[in-house]
Amino acid sequence: MNEEASLELISQMIRNSRRKLEDANGIPFLIWGYTTFFVSLMVYFFINATGDYHYHFLWFLIPVIGSIGMAVSKQSKAKRAGHAMNFIDRVMRNIWMVIGIASFIAGVGAFLVRFPVLPLMLLLMGIGTTLTGLTIKFKPVIISGFIGMASCALPFIIDGNGQILVYGVIYLMMMVVPGHILNYSGRKRHV
Amino acid sequence: MFKELNPLLHSELRLRIMSILISVEEADFVYIREKTGATAGNISVQIEKLSEAGYIEVSKGFLGKRTRTVCKITEKGVNAFEEYVEALKSYLDIKGR
Repeated sequence: MNEEASLELISQMIRNSRRKLEDANGIPFLIWGYTTFFVSLMVYFFINATGDYHYHFLWFLIPVIGSIGMAVSKQSKAKRAGHAMNFIDRVMRNIWMVIGIASFIAGVGAFLVRFPVLPLMLLLMGIGTTLTGLTIKFKPVIISGFIGMASCALPFIIDGNGQILVYGVIYLMMMVVPGHILNYSGRKRHV
Repeated sequence: MFKELNPLLHSELRLRIMSILISVEEADFVYIREKTGATAGNISVQIEKLSEAGYIEVSKGFLGKRTRTVCKITEKGVNAFEEYVEALKSYLDIKGR
Protein backbone atom coordinates (compact mmCIF):
# COMPACT_ATOMS: atom_id res chain seq x y z
CA MET A 1 0.00 0.00 0.00
CA ASN A 2 1.56 3.33 -1.02
CA GLU A 3 1.06 6.71 0.69
CA GLU A 4 -1.62 7.98 -1.74
CA ALA A 5 -3.60 4.75 -1.33
CA SER A 6 -3.38 5.08 2.48
CA LEU A 7 -4.73 8.63 2.44
CA GLU A 8 -7.48 7.67 0.01
CA LEU A 9 -8.44 4.73 2.19
CA ILE A 10 -8.61 6.93 5.31
CA SER A 11 -10.80 9.54 3.65
CA GLN A 12 -13.03 6.85 2.12
CA MET A 13 -13.64 5.17 5.50
CA ILE A 14 -14.27 8.50 7.22
CA ARG A 15 -16.71 9.46 4.42
CA ASN A 16 -18.56 6.15 4.90
CA SER A 17 -18.84 6.67 8.64
CA ARG A 18 -19.91 10.29 8.20
CA ARG A 19 -22.73 9.05 5.98
CA LYS A 20 -24.12 7.50 9.14
CA LEU A 21 -24.87 11.04 10.33
CA GLU A 22 -27.18 11.51 7.37
CA ASP A 23 -28.86 8.17 7.99
CA ALA A 24 -31.04 9.57 10.78
CA ASN A 25 -34.15 7.44 10.55
CA GLY A 26 -37.70 8.19 11.51
CA ILE A 27 -38.45 4.84 13.16
CA PRO A 28 -38.27 6.11 16.80
CA PHE A 29 -40.65 8.97 15.93
CA LEU A 30 -43.04 6.50 14.28
CA ILE A 31 -42.91 4.06 17.22
CA TRP A 32 -43.65 6.72 19.86
CA GLY A 33 -46.00 8.76 17.65
CA TYR A 34 -48.25 5.86 16.58
CA THR A 35 -48.18 4.30 20.07
CA THR A 36 -49.31 7.56 21.69
CA PHE A 37 -51.95 8.15 19.02
CA PHE A 38 -53.52 4.69 19.37
CA VAL A 39 -53.34 4.69 23.18
CA SER A 40 -55.06 8.13 23.17
CA LEU A 41 -57.83 6.69 21.00
CA MET A 42 -58.19 3.74 23.40
CA VAL A 43 -58.34 5.98 26.48
CA TYR A 44 -60.84 8.30 24.77
CA PHE A 45 -63.03 5.42 23.58
CA PHE A 46 -63.13 3.53 26.91
CA ILE A 47 -63.74 6.62 29.05
CA ASN A 48 -66.44 7.86 26.69
CA ALA A 49 -68.11 4.46 26.57
CA THR A 50 -67.97 3.62 30.28
CA GLY A 51 -67.36 6.91 32.12
CA ASP A 52 -64.80 5.04 34.24
CA TYR A 53 -61.73 7.24 34.77
CA HIS A 54 -59.64 4.26 35.82
CA TYR A 55 -59.02 3.82 32.08
CA HIS A 56 -56.48 6.62 32.44
CA PHE A 57 -54.14 3.87 33.65
CA LEU A 58 -53.97 2.82 29.97
CA TRP A 59 -51.58 5.75 29.44
CA PHE A 60 -48.88 3.59 31.02
CA LEU A 61 -49.09 1.34 27.95
CA ILE A 62 -47.16 4.06 26.08
CA PRO A 63 -43.79 3.55 27.83
CA VAL A 64 -44.27 -0.24 27.77
CA ILE A 65 -45.15 -0.56 24.06
CA GLY A 66 -42.71 2.20 23.07
CA SER A 67 -39.77 0.64 24.93
CA ILE A 68 -40.46 -2.82 23.49
CA GLY A 69 -40.75 -1.33 19.99
CA MET A 70 -37.48 0.57 20.39
CA ALA A 71 -35.64 -2.51 21.71
CA VAL A 72 -36.88 -4.68 18.83
CA SER A 73 -36.03 -2.01 16.25
CA LYS A 74 -32.55 -1.46 17.70
CA GLN A 75 -31.83 -5.18 17.86
CA SER A 76 -32.93 -5.90 14.29
CA LYS A 77 -30.91 -2.94 12.96
CA ALA A 78 -27.82 -4.00 14.91
CA LYS A 79 -28.13 -7.58 13.62
CA ARG A 80 -28.37 -6.32 10.04
CA ALA A 81 -25.80 -3.53 9.88
CA GLY A 82 -24.11 -3.42 13.27
CA HIS A 83 -24.13 -0.51 15.64
CA ALA A 84 -21.91 2.52 15.94
CA MET A 85 -22.40 5.56 18.09
CA ASN A 86 -21.13 9.01 17.22
CA PHE A 87 -21.41 12.30 19.07
CA ILE A 88 -24.83 13.12 17.61
CA ASP A 89 -26.21 9.70 18.60
CA ARG A 90 -25.03 10.30 22.16
CA VAL A 91 -26.57 13.80 22.30
CA MET A 92 -29.90 12.45 21.00
CA ARG A 93 -29.87 9.52 23.40
CA ASN A 94 -29.30 11.90 26.32
CA ILE A 95 -31.97 14.36 25.19
CA TRP A 96 -34.61 11.62 24.97
CA MET A 97 -33.48 9.93 28.16
CA VAL A 98 -34.03 13.19 30.09
CA ILE A 99 -37.36 13.90 28.32
CA GLY A 100 -38.48 10.30 28.93
CA ILE A 101 -37.68 10.41 32.64
CA ALA A 102 -39.35 13.84 33.02
CA SER A 103 -42.49 12.58 31.21
CA PHE A 104 -42.66 9.46 33.35
CA ILE A 105 -42.34 11.51 36.56
CA ALA A 106 -45.03 13.91 35.29
CA GLY A 107 -47.28 10.96 34.34
CA VAL A 108 -46.97 9.29 37.73
CA GLY A 109 -47.29 12.67 39.48
CA ALA A 110 -50.58 13.35 37.70
CA PHE A 111 -52.07 10.25 39.32
CA LEU A 112 -51.01 11.42 42.77
CA VAL A 113 -51.76 15.14 42.49
CA ARG A 114 -54.37 16.33 40.03
CA PHE A 115 -52.91 18.72 37.49
CA PRO A 116 -53.29 19.10 33.71
CA VAL A 117 -50.61 16.71 32.54
CA LEU A 118 -51.41 16.60 28.80
CA PRO A 119 -50.15 20.17 28.10
CA LEU A 120 -46.98 19.43 30.05
CA MET A 121 -46.41 16.22 28.03
CA LEU A 122 -46.90 18.13 24.77
CA LEU A 123 -44.44 20.77 25.89
CA LEU A 124 -41.82 18.16 26.89
CA MET A 125 -42.22 16.12 23.68
CA GLY A 126 -42.23 19.32 21.62
CA ILE A 127 -38.94 20.39 23.23
CA GLY A 128 -37.42 16.93 22.57
CA THR A 129 -38.57 16.94 18.96
CA THR A 130 -37.31 20.47 18.33
CA LEU A 131 -33.91 19.71 19.89
CA THR A 132 -33.69 16.55 17.76
CA GLY A 133 -34.48 18.53 14.61
CA LEU A 134 -31.89 21.19 15.47
CA THR A 135 -29.26 18.53 16.24
CA ILE A 136 -29.75 16.57 13.01
CA LYS A 137 -30.41 19.83 11.10
CA PHE A 138 -33.71 18.68 9.62
CA LYS A 139 -36.34 21.41 9.14
CA PRO A 140 -39.55 19.29 9.12
CA VAL A 141 -38.61 17.92 12.56
CA ILE A 142 -37.82 21.41 13.90
CA ILE A 143 -41.15 22.76 12.61
CA SER A 144 -43.18 19.85 13.98
CA GLY A 145 -41.44 20.24 17.35
CA PHE A 146 -42.48 23.89 17.50
CA ILE A 147 -46.03 22.90 16.46
CA GLY A 148 -46.03 20.43 19.39
CA MET A 149 -44.82 23.07 21.82
CA ALA A 150 -47.28 25.68 20.56
CA SER A 151 -50.21 23.28 20.76
CA CYS A 152 -49.66 22.61 24.44
CA ALA A 153 -52.30 25.27 25.07
CA LEU A 154 -54.98 23.37 23.11
CA PRO A 155 -55.99 20.93 25.87
CA PHE A 156 -56.75 23.98 28.05
CA ILE A 157 -59.08 25.38 25.40
CA ILE A 158 -60.97 22.13 24.72
CA ASP A 159 -63.32 20.87 27.41
CA GLY A 160 -63.84 17.31 28.58
CA ASN A 161 -62.56 14.16 26.97
CA GLY A 162 -62.17 15.85 23.59
CA GLN A 163 -58.74 17.00 24.77
CA ILE A 164 -57.55 13.35 24.83
CA LEU A 165 -58.49 13.00 21.17
CA VAL A 166 -56.77 16.30 20.29
CA TYR A 167 -53.70 15.16 22.22
CA GLY A 168 -53.45 12.04 20.01
CA VAL A 169 -53.93 14.02 16.81
CA ILE A 170 -51.15 16.46 17.81
CA TYR A 171 -48.80 13.46 18.08
CA LEU A 172 -49.64 12.56 14.49
CA MET A 173 -48.43 16.02 13.45
CA MET A 174 -45.52 16.25 15.87
CA MET A 175 -44.01 12.76 15.46
CA VAL A 176 -45.68 10.59 12.81
CA VAL A 177 -45.51 13.10 9.95
CA PRO A 178 -41.81 14.07 10.50
CA GLY A 179 -41.00 10.36 11.08
CA HIS A 180 -42.34 9.47 7.63
CA ILE A 181 -40.60 12.49 6.05
CA LEU A 182 -37.27 11.43 7.66
CA ASN A 183 -37.67 7.88 6.34
CA TYR A 184 -38.64 9.11 2.89
CA SER A 185 -35.62 11.44 2.66
CA GLY A 186 -33.38 8.61 3.94
CA ARG A 187 -34.64 6.25 1.23
CA LYS A 188 -34.19 8.95 -1.44
CA ARG A 189 -30.52 9.44 -0.42
CA HIS A 190 -29.83 5.74 -0.79
CA VAL A 191 -31.37 5.41 -4.28
CA MET B 1 12.80 14.59 5.91
CA PHE B 2 10.63 11.46 5.92
CA LYS B 3 8.85 10.57 9.13
CA GLU B 4 8.65 6.86 9.74
CA LEU B 5 5.25 5.30 9.00
CA ASN B 6 3.87 3.35 11.95
CA PRO B 7 3.98 -0.29 10.73
CA LEU B 8 1.03 -1.21 12.92
CA LEU B 9 -1.18 1.29 11.10
CA HIS B 10 0.39 0.86 7.67
CA SER B 11 -1.69 -2.21 6.92
CA GLU B 12 -4.88 -1.95 4.89
CA LEU B 13 -7.38 -3.58 7.23
CA ARG B 14 -5.96 -2.10 10.44
CA LEU B 15 -6.00 1.34 8.84
CA ARG B 16 -9.63 0.81 7.77
CA ILE B 17 -10.60 -0.16 11.31
CA MET B 18 -8.78 2.81 12.85
CA SER B 19 -10.34 5.22 10.31
CA ILE B 20 -13.82 4.01 11.27
CA LEU B 21 -13.12 4.28 14.98
CA ILE B 22 -11.65 7.77 14.67
CA SER B 23 -14.90 9.03 13.15
CA VAL B 24 -17.36 7.40 15.58
CA GLU B 25 -17.19 7.17 19.37
CA GLU B 26 -17.71 3.41 19.36
CA ALA B 27 -18.59 0.69 16.87
CA ASP B 28 -19.48 -2.95 17.25
CA PHE B 29 -17.94 -5.88 15.40
CA VAL B 30 -20.82 -6.23 12.90
CA TYR B 31 -20.59 -2.53 11.97
CA ILE B 32 -16.82 -2.80 11.41
CA ARG B 33 -17.32 -5.96 9.31
CA GLU B 34 -20.00 -4.25 7.20
CA LYS B 35 -17.92 -1.11 6.61
CA THR B 36 -14.61 -2.88 5.89
CA GLY B 37 -16.04 -5.79 3.92
CA ALA B 38 -13.42 -8.07 5.50
CA THR B 39 -13.99 -11.54 6.96
CA ALA B 40 -14.82 -11.94 10.66
CA GLY B 41 -11.66 -13.99 11.31
CA ASN B 42 -9.40 -11.41 9.74
CA ILE B 43 -11.04 -8.55 11.63
CA SER B 44 -10.69 -10.44 14.94
CA VAL B 45 -6.95 -10.85 14.41
CA GLN B 46 -6.43 -7.17 13.55
CA ILE B 47 -8.61 -5.96 16.43
CA GLU B 48 -6.53 -8.09 18.78
CA LYS B 49 -3.31 -6.50 17.46
CA LEU B 50 -4.68 -2.95 17.79
CA SER B 51 -5.95 -3.73 21.27
CA GLU B 52 -2.58 -5.19 22.36
CA ALA B 53 -0.90 -1.98 21.16
CA GLY B 54 -3.34 0.00 23.32
CA TYR B 55 -4.81 1.80 20.29
CA ILE B 56 -8.33 0.54 20.89
CA GLU B 57 -10.41 -0.70 23.82
CA VAL B 58 -12.51 -3.80 23.32
CA SER B 59 -15.47 -4.65 25.53
CA LYS B 60 -17.86 -7.57 25.34
CA GLY B 61 -21.55 -7.31 26.08
CA PHE B 62 -24.88 -8.73 25.04
CA LEU B 63 -27.49 -7.63 22.52
CA GLY B 64 -30.48 -9.87 23.17
CA LYS B 65 -29.05 -13.39 23.34
CA ARG B 66 -26.02 -12.62 21.17
CA THR B 67 -22.65 -11.51 22.41
CA ARG B 68 -21.59 -8.12 21.14
CA THR B 69 -18.04 -6.84 20.81
CA VAL B 70 -17.70 -3.07 21.00
CA CYS B 71 -14.52 -1.22 20.01
CA LYS B 72 -13.48 2.30 20.99
CA ILE B 73 -10.36 4.20 19.99
CA THR B 74 -8.11 5.24 22.91
CA GLU B 75 -6.18 8.50 23.31
CA LYS B 76 -3.01 6.61 22.44
CA GLY B 77 -4.75 5.37 19.29
CA VAL B 78 -5.85 8.90 18.31
CA ASN B 79 -2.28 10.19 18.78
CA ALA B 80 -0.83 7.31 16.74
CA PHE B 81 -3.37 7.91 13.98
CA GLU B 82 -2.60 11.64 13.86
CA GLU B 83 1.14 10.96 13.73
CA TYR B 84 0.56 8.45 10.94
CA VAL B 85 -1.40 11.01 8.89
CA GLU B 86 1.33 13.63 9.50
CA ALA B 87 3.95 11.15 8.33
CA LEU B 88 1.91 10.40 5.20
CA LYS B 89 1.67 14.13 4.48
CA SER B 90 5.44 14.51 4.77
CA TYR B 91 5.91 11.73 2.19
CA LEU B 92 3.42 13.32 -0.19
CA ASP B 93 4.90 16.84 0.29
CA ILE B 94 8.34 15.61 -0.67
CA LYS B 95 6.99 13.64 -3.63
CA GLY B 96 5.03 16.70 -4.78
CA ARG B 97 8.09 18.96 -4.93
